[in-house]
Amino acid sequence: MVPVQWYLLLATAVFCIGLFGILTRKNALLFLMSVELMLNAANINLVAFSAYWGNITGQTFSLFTMALAAAEVAVGIGIILVLYRNFDDVDVTLAKGMRW
Amino acid sequence: MTPLQTQLPTWTAVAPTLLLGLTALVLLLVDSIDPDSTRPGALAGIATLGSLATLAVAGWFLLAGTGQTGSGGAIELYGGSLVVDGLSLFFTVVVASVVAMVSLASYDYLRDRTYQAEFYSLVLLAATGMSLMGSSGSLATVFISLELASLPSYALVAFLKDNRGSVEAGLKYFLVGAVSSAVLTFGISLVYAATGSLLLADVASAVGSAGDLVGIAGVGIVMIAGGFAFKTASVPFHFWAPEAYEGAPAPISAFLSSASKAAGFAVAFRVFAVGFPLDAVVPMGIDWSLLFAILAVVTMTLGNFAAATQENVKRMLAYSSVGHAGYALIGLAALSGGGPNGNVMGASMAHLLVYGFMNTGAFLFIAMVEHWEVGRTFEDYNGLATRAPAACLAMTVFMFSLAGLPPFGGFLSKYALFYEAIQGGFWWLAAVGAINSALSLFYYSRVVKAMWIEDPTGEFDLGATPVGLYAAVMVAAVGTLLLLPAFGPVVETAQSAATALFA
Amino acid sequence: MVGAFDYAPAIVLLPFLSFLVALAGGKYLPKGGAFGGIAATAGSLVLSAWVFLTVSAGNAYNETLYTWVAGAGEETTRLTFGLLLDPLAAMMLLIVSLVALLVHVFSLGYMNDEGETGLPRYYAGLGLFTASMLGFVVADNLLMAFMFFELVGLCSYLLIGFWFRDSGPPSAAKKAFLVTRFGDYFFLVGVVAVFATFGTAKFAGEGAFPVIAEEALAGSAAEVTTFGFAPETWFTILGLLILGGVIGKSAQFPLHTWLPDAMEGPTPVSALIHAATMVAAGVYLVARMYGFYALSPTALGIIALVGGFTALFAATMGVVKREIKQVLAYSTISQYGYMMLGLGAGGYVAASFHLLTHAFFKALLFLGAGAVIIAMHHDEDMWNMGGLKERMPVTYYTFLSGSLALAGIVPFAGFWSKDEVLYEALVHGLGGSPLLLAGYAMGLVAVFFTGFYTFRMVFLTFHGEPRTEVARDPHGVRWNVKGPLVVLGILAATIGFVNMVPVQDLTGIHLEFLHDWLAHGELSALTAEHYGELLHDYAHYTSADVASYVAGAVSLALALAGAGLAHVLYNVPEPTEHTAKLGAVKDLWYNNYYQDEYQIWIATSVVLPLSRLADKFDQGVVDGVVNGVSSVSLFAGSRIRRIQTGVVSNYAALLTLGLTALLVVFGVLGGWFV
Repeated sequence: MVPVQWYLLLATAVFCIGLFGILTRKNALLFLMSVELMLNAANINLVAFSAYWGNITGQTFSLFTMALAAAEVAVGIGIILVLYRNFDDVDVTLAKGMRW
Repeated sequence: MTPLQTQLPTWTAVAPTLLLGLTALVLLLVDSIDPDSTRPGALAGIATLGSLATLAVAGWFLLAGTGQTGSGGAIELYGGSLVVDGLSLFFTVVVASVVAMVSLASYDYLRDRTYQAEFYSLVLLAATGMSLMGSSGSLATVFISLELASLPSYALVAFLKDNRGSVEAGLKYFLVGAVSSAVLTFGISLVYAATGSLLLADVASAVGSAGDLVGIAGVGIVMIAGGFAFKTASVPFHFWAPEAYEGAPAPISAFLSSASKAAGFAVAFRVFAVGFPLDAVVPMGIDWSLLFAILAVVTMTLGNFAAATQENVKRMLAYSSVGHAGYALIGLAALSGGGPNGNVMGASMAHLLVYGFMNTGAFLFIAMVEHWEVGRTFEDYNGLATRAPAACLAMTVFMFSLAGLPPFGGFLSKYALFYEAIQGGFWWLAAVGAINSALSLFYYSRVVKAMWIEDPTGEFDLGATPVGLYAAVMVAAVGTLLLLPAFGPVVETAQSAATALFA
Repeated sequence: MVGAFDYAPAIVLLPFLSFLVALAGGKYLPKGGAFGGIAATAGSLVLSAWVFLTVSAGNAYNETLYTWVAGAGEETTRLTFGLLLDPLAAMMLLIVSLVALLVHVFSLGYMNDEGETGLPRYYAGLGLFTASMLGFVVADNLLMAFMFFELVGLCSYLLIGFWFRDSGPPSAAKKAFLVTRFGDYFFLVGVVAVFATFGTAKFAGEGAFPVIAEEALAGSAAEVTTFGFAPETWFTILGLLILGGVIGKSAQFPLHTWLPDAMEGPTPVSALIHAATMVAAGVYLVARMYGFYALSPTALGIIALVGGFTALFAATMGVVKREIKQVLAYSTISQYGYMMLGLGAGGYVAASFHLLTHAFFKALLFLGAGAVIIAMHHDEDMWNMGGLKERMPVTYYTFLSGSLALAGIVPFAGFWSKDEVLYEALVHGLGGSPLLLAGYAMGLVAVFFTGFYTFRMVFLTFHGEPRTEVARDPHGVRWNVKGPLVVLGILAATIGFVNMVPVQDLTGIHLEFLHDWLAHGELSALTAEHYGELLHDYAHYTSADVASYVAGAVSLALALAGAGLAHVLYNVPEPTEHTAKLGAVKDLWYNNYYQDEYQIWIATSVVLPLSRLADKFDQGVVDGVVNGVSSVSLFAGSRIRRIQTGVVSNYAALLTLGLTALLVVFGVLGGWFV
């Protein structure tokens, strides 16, 4: 059996990849996908430790996380649509009318 | 007195939250019966009535002692996932009063817009989430209720679809929020990894013996703190706040900066006080009260300093809202292993209640000014008192109360907060807070000066009086004033509710 | 019997009343409340004259009128308001009320006739300004003095920023307020320290703090807390702390930068600030507590050195300015430098004398400049003037009288007083103090520059051919402008005669009336005689034997040389700019030695942390803290808000950085991964 530490490392790696994505991507959709990666990193943890601790709390919670991630994407896509309508692009760095 | 929960079924303890959710559904129902006609009066009325009913029930429960130490302690539902006690009822009161004022004010603000029913139901759904946040007894409900509060908020900020400012604000709020919720989830997963449970009570008993997993628990706790920092608009997760408050429709700015912030603190208070008890985690090297102390100092300083140089009144208020998050964070920072922690946390809760009135009022005044199309900068406000003395008087009350001047509610609540911080031995936090308050008087009084002292630069064409907005602003002003004499019972209720958390 | 002293509070209250009247009802009064102010200051002047006469009959007055904080018990510190009327105060009262009256009258011409708006606010400000300065003059203790000192600062803020809709005045006002307040922080600390040390802050009478300090040094008083320092050292520290406020208000190096900017205010206000009120307050404070400073040779040496340096430093900058008011601003800084030099050199009478003469001739010059500015339709650039001599003779001759006084040409007022200051520095310097000699040398060189820039100003403004259309056909001025000019013109020419020491030394006729006036008095601890003893016993000042007329001749020669050079260069029909010949030095002078630049640097990176520390001292003075911290914080605020770049990707990066920093710090602190 794979030791649980490896799952932890995997989850951390996925989280960091997601983080790297949001730091480097200007495209709003890619930004969203990176966030999904970070959420899934949490899911890996939850499922792995659910098995480790022998209860199903973590697994159940990961289902909630997925559902909420979907809801988040739904709202997010809506916002990205109006972004596109107003700024003619989905580049998140274009919207910088308010600052300081 | 007979405890309320012996007379009513236990599930009725969440009645306030259910009422909020129910109102949201009723609004959608009304709209779907006849989707083609708008009836702003009916929709605003339903929303206001629903939130007032919530306020009444939550207030009744709070006074009757439901879920409080006097009548048998907290009521747990669904295996402890939901908890109804003094804290949750207190914050439900805060949220419900803010929603009532915001719904009342939105009647005029939304008059000629479409999708009104959606607007009100989103507000009420978010309010349901906020109310649930205060009742969350498990990290799972924490996450779900937080998202329930956040997702409608994103949509509400971007509600003015053709307004670039609103869309930009919504985008920034959403993106920062998405990242923050990912951080929060990852933090929760790490805490679960270290403790094997999501229930706060179980986490509390397991976290002390995490042993080798202390690092994982520590990182998890800091990340959870980050997720809450997003909700409360605290550094370093505050970046969305100035833009979201500035760009959003002003009633939504009021809603987010008052109710959403209060709910963020509600959940943070419960999770940290119950889930990560200081005397268990500090010996392990996870000193979260120090973490919040640093955040409090940085947040209040950054918010106030940045607010001092703004030209746009709404953005000034946005930054001041960040600054106030810093004050409220003292409730999580001035804690120690053995101290009378409930007092300072209770003072922070009371401050959030007062803040709910004065800050909502201030943003609703901005909404009124936007409704009049007067302009956004301090100069545009010059001489406004010559045309709208009553509203300007109310705004003066809000500004001075926010700055913490007597004789307004904000004075006592801030005073109590700093006093309790000093009592807990954190005089330096109080000192930083006091310096920041002094600075804040500078920019708050700029508004007052512009309205009352400066000469108008041009003619105002205000048009008809917006009844709903006017009424909401006046309610907030009266509330701010009344909270001065009523502050005693308020702070006592809050402190006993907070003390129950540490018991 | 009811005497002048019973009416003395009215000297302060009358202008205050005019402030209230102008504020409340100025809108409905003719001339925006001007007449109320004129009547009030005239009343103050009459009462001051009465006080002056009573004091000259050998009386003095030193009473506590009102105790506003009294601790329980006998020995506790009491905070009081009271009056101290001695020869120095009586003289100053006359100066302030006379200049204030003339400025009010002049304002009729400068403000009302020019159709300015906001006149009630203007006259209210003038009234409060006069009242605060008069209150400061009669203050009988350091705390009361401090409070009125701050009021003076506040009024200057209000008046400098009178035209707050333009861009310049508000920032100048803010700068004046900030810079002087920076000095005031030290002053406030000094006040608290004086209370902590002596338990009282009274200037005179039984148990006044200079007296206790003297006793402590003589070893006959015990109850002095010196916080572990030797008494001499501690008193020097106290003196220097209070000196901080003086340096700020009297615009001494390095806190002089606010003053030239303060020229953005209306010209009559400049006259009031520079001649009789705000700037004079600093020097007056040192003179007021001279019995304390005389105990500390170190403090005196620093005062003298700062004064001498400022005198020279400001004079060099005055040489290259283009605007008439800028030249005058730098001359003010320079002249107050002389007064500080005089005080530091042990010349209490000399410095008071210079304060007196300067008040009149500088008020004259500013009002004259105001008349010129009216005539030029509010153009202040001297290069656009020229030839105004024929067109406005009254202004010209009075202005000339003031200029001769400023340059120190015999027999005009400035010659006598400046000469005496320099003489004091010279004799005490030769008596064994190289610091004073250095101050003297700088003061002497400054005389040359003073002569030069003064007459450069006169020649450019009034002589030669008109250089613009406006100068060919200037706007006329009325009696309300000419009247004050004539009064002051005569005073500037003659006031020096009250103290002609060189003439006395030459002829043997008794001519040093001011010496007599200040040397004796009922309050023996406040007399020049007593100060002389203190200087000799504690500061170890000894005088070398130099004939006063020799020193006077040297400085007169230098002043004439400076004026002569100006005559050669600028008294021609078509003067050209010679400043370019100075090369890099001109840039340096024109940019004021880049003072502003380095002070902004200090303000942002050094003062900010310091001023936060200073806050703790100020908890009781809420007003001061609120204003001070807020204003200084604006610098910081404008930086902090830049974090919010508007680009959401940057937010994500900063958020990540913040979270990472927190994780690392707490991980290391908590030892999570060991």
